[in-house]
Amino acid sequence: MTTLTRTRTRTRTRDEKIVSSDNLPLRPPRHARTNLVPVLFLLPAGIGIGIFVIVPAILSLAASFFSVPLTGGAWQWVGLTNYVRVLTDSAVLQAIGNTFVYSVITIVPSLAIGLGLALLANSVVRGRAFVRTALFLPMTANLVAMAVVFRWLFAFQGGFINQMLGFAGFGSVNWLGDTSTSLLTLALVGVWRSASFSMMIFFAGLATVPGTIHEATRAEGIRGWTKLTRITLPIMKPTVVFATVVAVLGSVQVFDTINVMTQGGPQGSSETILTMTWKLGFGYFDLGAASALSFLLLVVLVGIGLIQRRVLAGGHK
Amino acid sequence: MIYVFRTGRWLFIALAVLVSLFPFYWMMRTAVSPADEVFFDGLSFIPSSLDWSNFARAWTDANLGQAILVGSAMTLSILALQLITCIPAAYVLAKVRMRGVGIALAIVIACLLVPGQVSLIPIFIGINTVGLADSLPGLILPYMTSAFGIFLLRQQMMAIPDSLMDAARTDGLGHVRTLYNVVIPMAAPGIAAFSVFSVFTHWNDYMWPLLIARSPDLATPPLALAVFQQADAGFDYSALAAGAAIVTAPVIILFLVAQKRFVQGMSGAEIPG
Repeated sequence: MTTLTRTRTRTRTRDEKIVSSDNLPLRPPRHARTNLVPVLFLLPAGIGIGIFVIVPAILSLAASFFSVPLTGGAWQWVGLTNYVRVLTDSAVLQAIGNTFVYSVITIVPSLAIGLGLALLANSVVRGRAFVRTALFLPMTANLVAMAVVFRWLFAFQGGFINQMLGFAGFGSVNWLGDTSTSLLTLALVGVWRSASFSMMIFFAGLATVPGTIHEATRAEGIRGWTKLTRITLPIMKPTVVFATVVAVLGSVQVFDTINVMTQGGPQGSSETILTMTWKLGFGYFDLGAASALSFLLLVVLVGIGLIQRRVLAGGHK
Repeated sequence: MIYVFRTGRWLFIALAVLVSLFPFYWMMRTAVSPADEVFFDGLSFIPSSLDWSNFARAWTDANLGQAILVGSAMTLSILALQLITCIPAAYVLAKVRMRGVGIALAIVIACLLVPGQVSLIPIFIGINTVGLADSLPGLILPYMTSAFGIFLLRQQMMAIPDSLMDAARTDGLGHVRTLYNVVIPMAAPGIAAFSVFSVFTHWNDYMWPLLIARSPDLATPPLALAVFQQADAGFDYSALAAGAAIVTAPVIILFLVAQKRFVQGMSGAEIPG
């Protein structure tokens, strides 16, 4: 039997006796004896997650194999028909493609800009509080309210950005009204907001890098890009993972801006999986197809999640 | 060379600050502009005269008083429920060693990945079935707990030294007292961060209220504004911007107040010390 100090390690096994630092055995720990309280602690969250996440997800999976009347009534088994219908519908395929494009052109710039700004804002000495606050503000914006402003900024006639382009000698772009630019315009708004969120997460993460690391790297002469990629980012790994997950979830689930700015148009050019699910489910009352589509999205997300899971669950310590 | 770098850095920051703030500025500028010079008249960064009447019009036309009341009741109830459910669960997942904790944690992480829309339709049907559609509880209940909150708080609580937990145990504190007297004070930054995050999310939430709140009396702030936006003829942009400013102000104030703790608690990692 080894004497355990107060600093525990992960390798401790179940039946090692807990010994205080002066080697006197303690009373049997109450925590180990009474398991009722922890179970009660888990119960409210468990009920909530069960009712509002797990059961609906299972129902959603089930509904994707049925024809479901929205108003209640008997479900009718249709097998994979919903999936076939969804995956052969060109509008749905367009929405899936759009979601993919939107995610790529939103997530990567958001994370890169967010990290860059966090590093820069961290190095600012004077006016740091102001810079930080200003850069965080987009996160607080109500997207429905802000979408109104963005619609004006990107307006075809008289919009701010087109006027600026006009001054610079360029022609006007019909940002939101053209099938080739509507998704890009929405992505710009998405980056505006999620870069702010990423930056905040990175900013918090940078604070977790111990000062001794900075001293050590300075002494070793490691600076700039090398320090970032070899030292800082690996230390911040949980933060990087967290920021990535938040960015992925945020962009894949984009809805508010699209719904108030373009409603998926023109001609479905800015339709995404979520706006499509919404239309299928609550516009056409085709719950089976809507469930099939949302379940396909879940499969993709869980796939991404499984890759990240190890890091999420055990990336600390 | 170093000067080029420094200047470049400052330019980048200045540009980023400008881009971040500009939409807010434009919102305010439109909100105080006379209705006839909103944006079709060239680039006027400063309105020719200040017209504060837009705020009053927005307040009455969109029934913002009622919307803010409903929004606050919803947001604060959700926050209270989430704190009550998430904090004890996070404590168990972070600091109690018993069978099943690992599985519970895996379930929480799996739920983190289930996007809202997957459960949207079944929850919508369920809420309808139990007769909670178009009611405040219908807006609140689906968000009674948050996998994200549990995960974030668990990460924070992992940082609390085990020696402290042992000390609490030695002093004969049970789980309830340990949680209340030791863990909650130590995890305060995480709790603050999650609270602010939850308030942002639900104050600004658009999709669920759009489905559930059908009567105008139950419109949350984004719904009140969106209704505004779908009006077509003789549309009042200044009042809309003023309304947007009114609705955004509370969260900005909350953010400024809670900023420091929010930043501390948001890393997704354990913070030493």
